[in-house]
Formats: sequence, structure tokens, C-alpha cells
Amino acid sequence: MFNFYLLSSVLLISLIFFFLGNNRAKNLVKLNQKNLHSLTHYYGVYSLLASLLPALGIFFIFTICDDLIFAELIKKHIPKEVVASKDYNFTIVLAQINNSVEGLIFGTPPQWVTNAAEIWISWIHKSQIITVIICISTALISGFLGYKKISGNFRSRNAVEKIVMSILAVSSVIAILTTIAIIFSVVFESIRFFALIPYDEFLFGTVWNPQFEGAERAGSGQEGLSQYGAIPLFAGTFLISIIALCVSVPVGLFSAIYLSEYATSKERAFFKPLLEILAGIPTVVYGFFAALTVAPFLRSSGSIFGLDVASESALAAGLVMGIMIIPFISSLSDDVINAVPQSLRDAGYGLGSTKNETVIKIVLPAALPGVVASIILAVSRAVGETMIVVMAAGLAANLTANPLDAVTTVTSQIVTILVGDQEFESAKTLSAFALALTLIIITLGMNFYALHVVKKYREQYE
Amino acid sequence: MSNINDFKSLELTVGDVFSKNARIKARNVNVFYGNNKAIDNVTIDIGSKEVISFIGPSGCGKSTFLRCFNRMNDTIDSCVVQGEISIDDENIYDKKIDVVPLRARIGMVFQKPNPFPKSIYDNVAYGPRIHGLSENKEHLDVIVEESLKRAGLWQEVSDRLQSPGTGLSGGQQQRLCIARAIAVSPEVILMDEPCSALDPIATARIEDLIHELGNDYSIVIVTHSMQQAARVSKRTAYFHLGKLIEVGKTKEIFTRPQHHQTEAYISGKIG
Repeated sequence: MFNFYLLSSVLLISLIFFFLGNNRAKNLVKLNQKNLHSLTHYYGVYSLLASLLPALGIFFIFTICDDLIFAELIKKHIPKEVVASKDYNFTIVLAQINNSVEGLIFGTPPQWVTNAAEIWISWIHKSQIITVIICISTALISGFLGYKKISGNFRSRNAVEKIVMSILAVSSVIAILTTIAIIFSVVFESIRFFALIPYDEFLFGTVWNPQFEGAERAGSGQEGLSQYGAIPLFAGTFLISIIALCVSVPVGLFSAIYLSEYATSKERAFFKPLLEILAGIPTVVYGFFAALTVAPFLRSSGSIFGLDVASESALAAGLVMGIMIIPFISSLSDDVINAVPQSLRDAGYGLGSTKNETVIKIVLPAALPGVVASIILAVSRAVGETMIVVMAAGLAANLTANPLDAVTTVTSQIVTILVGDQEFESAKTLSAFALALTLIIITLGMNFYALHVVKKYREQYE
Repeated sequence: MSNINDFKSLELTVGDVFSKNARIKARNVNVFYGNNKAIDNVTIDIGSKEVISFIGPSGCGKSTFLRCFNRMNDTIDSCVVQGEISIDDENIYDKKIDVVPLRARIGMVFQKPNPFPKSIYDNVAYGPRIHGLSENKEHLDVIVEESLKRAGLWQEVSDRLQSPGTGLSGGQQQRLCIARAIAVSPEVILMDEPCSALDPIATARIEDLIHELGNDYSIVIVTHSMQQAARVSKRTAYFHLGKLIEVGKTKEIFTRPQHHQTEAYISGKIG
């Protein structure tokens, strides 16, 4: 609430500066009877930004930094005997103090924790006062400086242009930095995992059997030993992806050809949105469709032919995942097929080819790189898909090529490893990050390759 | 009813629309795009081994009319063609007509060179392959070579038949498209502003080519350039706002136009 009031008053001050700047510019026009460089509202916007941006910047720096500074300072207020004790952990102590500050008190905390929390609260009050003073005064001073700058020669239009550009640039940098931060967090946790388990065992091992250390001690699992061979997971992932592609590539591609070449504009306007609805269905819905409808159906129809189909089979998950990625392939392929110049089709028709001949011999070869790119993007989507496989593919890490068996995938293992309470130091938990890293590398590589193919294709007609 | 139409059409069009040895006969042709009338009651004959050019200001319907001859307008959803067009006394808008072999009989060259993104050889061999015109590989080679020679491109590409057709220069690409069209041995060649995307030297080569091909084929050429019409064609038809205004010997159209609109266009008053 405090932050809300502070930000509102900063905003109010900058708005006042907008009107001040605008008026000053108008007065300049009236007094001097000469033209300013820019329209008057640019001077207003300039004063507004001049007052708002520095104040906001300082506000965010203060809010981010004060917790870090307090955490450093509070160390002095923890009794020496606590620090000296054997199972002292600063993170836990800090959490205790923070809970006290927030009023979450479990049982009776030691006296020193309550004291530290009181000190912490007093710091918060002090820091709030300091933040208010500094933010408001920054807004006033920098706004005033911006206001003073206004004169006939000042090019506020260009200045506003530059400020707007930097705001946009900062936004895109934030997006990029977030991606990098995510990748790095995964990389660092993976490094911790590979310190426990050698990477060749992870990459080339054929048995996936993660256990908690407690379970190992109890002698359960395979001789009480965890095994982190990721091959069954990747094999399962690719088995399911291949089944999915067998469904989605023909259906998606053919429907794209129908929509772009054969359908009249009315049919197209009707069918294309319908197909895109498929893309809007949440994957969890596909998941229970797979688990509750497709899998039992496969099991019962398999038994008619005397086949033993697992109740959670790769086939069920793959089929449903294939349906899920149909709209990706059809929509992307439709775009690339439409991008083939009409003049090529005209040439084909002019030579007396039928529609079918034109599509197969002229349009598809010309669109092929784009179609391939759409398929690669669909594969990377299939590889990263989680919900359907968690619900329908099972968790048994079988190394098999039989689509009727239960398999597991990288993503569903990550989910099962990280769901629930975990010890963060164990190899089992950390293995999720190693899996995630491998998955990121694979899908990034695929996306990169697909974009490369598309780029090459674009140059062909220019 | 049709007699009245005939009469109106004759009244409208100045000059002799009929031809003694007519190969294509168009009678009272109307073309609509939705509710828009693009061609209004046009009657004209196109003679055997005759080069005729269609001229007129932009949007006058000359390209639309050209595309009626091989029914390319069928590919446009909203386009409706009324009237009768016959080739060798066979009505091509008859329901029984199969449009695919019809288009094989009538070659078309487009405004922008549009070679397929395939090799030069495959570009020319495309038509013969889909129509099964060659008995074997050697025969196909002969057809390709013949067509390229007739299009005046053989000398330039004989050593690189397998390189992509899109890698040629604009003028070469257009001659490749002509070679592709004549590879299926059509009877009529339609050319829709074939030189508008080319430089003057490439244009001159194409015009020479049209001269030569005129000895064997009926050629209909749509052009924006009156000089080009004067250079390549024996007969000229002037279109204005979907109507065929005047038809006549090229020389006479350009020196003594009968209709005031033709005269205005020739002298540059309508453009």
C-alpha cells in the first residue's frame, strides 16, 4: 500500500510538470511571437518524463536493495552463540526473522529472533521515509531541471524520441535477459548435478532409476543404487514424437493443401478458424482425452487382435499429441504454400496441368523448405510437450521401440521429480535440471535450424 | 436475341472484326468480376498464323479478354464468362470441353517471367512430361533442345541445362518461359505484356522471336507499348473500358484511326 501511494504521488508530480512544461512552451510562443522547434505538448511530455523516469528508477533500486542490505546488517544482531552452534544456517535464520516481521509466528520463537525482527521493522520504517524523501525530491528536482531546459531552441521532439527509444530498448533487453537468466539457472543447477553424476553416465546410461538417498540407505530400488541414464527418457520422447508426427504431418499437410489450393474462399473462412480452435484447446484437456478415451480404446481393440497393449501406452500419447500439433503444421504450411507466387500456379495451369499436378510438381517443391521448417517446429513442440505425456504415457522408463508399451518422456520425468517436497541437494532433484538443460539444447537447436531453413527459402523468390 | 447483340456489337466496333481464315472466333463475350463488367460484348476473329496485338489504357480489359482464350479466368472464383469462344469451330466454353488439354493447345506467356524454381531442362520438359509427349529420354532431350532453339535461348544455356531457371537474367527467363510454352507444341500463343518487365535489348530479342514464331503460330499479344504493337503485329485491336472500340490492320490503326477514342489514345490523349 505504501508503494502504491508513493508511486501515485510521483505520477501526480510528473503530471503537474506536464502541464507546467506545456504552459511554459505556450507562453514562450505568445511572448516571443516566434515558432518553437517542436509542438508545445512535446515540451510537456519532456518535463513529465524528466521528472518521472529518474524517480521511478530510484524507487526500484531502493525496493530491490533494501532487503539485501537489511539481510547483511541483521547478521550483527544474531547472538554469537547461535552463529557458533553446529546447525546454524543463515538462510533459515533469515526466514525465521522475516516470518516474525510479517507476523507469521510459529510456536514461540527465541527472544533474539523477536528482537531482530523489531530492529528489522524499525529499519523498514526508516527506509520508507528515506525512499519517500529521495523519490519525491528526485521527481521535483529532475522535473524542474527538465522544465528549466524549455526554451525556443530546445529540441524537445528529438529528446522525447530518444527517451521513447531507450524505453523500448530497455523492454527488449529485459525480455532477452530473462531468457538468459532462465538458461543460466538451469545451467548452474545442472553443473551441480554433473558434479554428483558423471555426464557420460547421464548421457549414455540406459537405466533411469532415480532414488532418494534415504531410499538408497533402506536398500530399496535396484540394489539401493540410483541410476541416471537418460537414454530411455529421450528414446521415449522421440518414440512419442515420431508417432505424433506420423499423425500430424499427413493430416496437417493435406489439410493445408486443401485449404490453400482447393477450398473456395468461403470454405477457407469457415475451416481455417475451426482448425485453429484445435490449437486453443489446453493440453490438459488433450491429456485426459488421451488417458480416458484413447488409451482404453486402444487397449480393448488391441485385445481383439490378441495384442497386449499397456493401459498407458506410447501410442495413445503419441496419437493425441499428433492431433494437438496438427494446427501447427497446417497453419504454418498453409502460410508457406500461400506464399508461393500465383504466377507459378498460372504457369502450371497455362501449360495444361491439372490442379493436382500443379500442387505436386510446382507448388509443393517450391514450398518444401517452409513445410520442412514447420515440421521441425512441430517436432520441437512435441518434444517439449508435457501434460499429455504425464497423463497418458506413464512413468515407466522402459527402453523400447514398441509403441504399445508404456514409456516415459523427459518432460514427464521432470514433472514427477519436482512435484511435491524435495531435498534440494539430492541428485534426484538436480537431475531434473540436467534433463531440462538437454531438452532446451535440443529444442533450441531445432528452432534455430528451422529458422535457418525458412530464411534460406525466403531468399529464393527475391 | 443473339442477332440483336451481334448488331449492337458490330455497331460499336469500328473496322473489320472478322477474318477469312479465322482460327479463334469470339462472339458477344461478356466477362464479369462479381457485379463488375470487365468485358462488354466483344466480338472478334483471330486468324491462323496471325500476330494480333491488343492495346488500350490500363484496366480496359485486354488482359482479361486474353485470359478467356485458355480459360485462365476459371481460376478466379468470382469471374464469370458469357458468350461463345470457339477454336477451330469448337466452343471452348462448352460443358463437355476438358480444360486441361485445351490449355495445352494454347500456350501462354505472362507479364512477369515466371520460370519454375527448377532446372532449365526441367522447366522446358515440364509440359511434355505431364502430357506424355515424349516416348523416351532421348526424345525428351530433342524436344527440349528444339524448344530452346526456337526460343533463341539454346546458344546461351546449352552448357548449363541443369542450373536453375531462376538464375537466368530477366530476358533469358522470359525466353525460357516461351520455350516452355512451345515445348507442348501449342497452336496459339497468348502473350500478356511479355516485355513489360524487360530492358530494351531483351525486349528487342523477344520481338524478333515473336516475328519468327508468327510464321507458325497464331499469336495474341497484349501490350502497353504502341511502338511494340506497331513493330510486331499485323492486326491491332483497341480496347477501352471493356469494349472493343476498333480493329484493323496495324498500319491503318496507327496512321488513320477511324474512331475518335482510338485516335485520342494513339495521339496520347488517353493513357
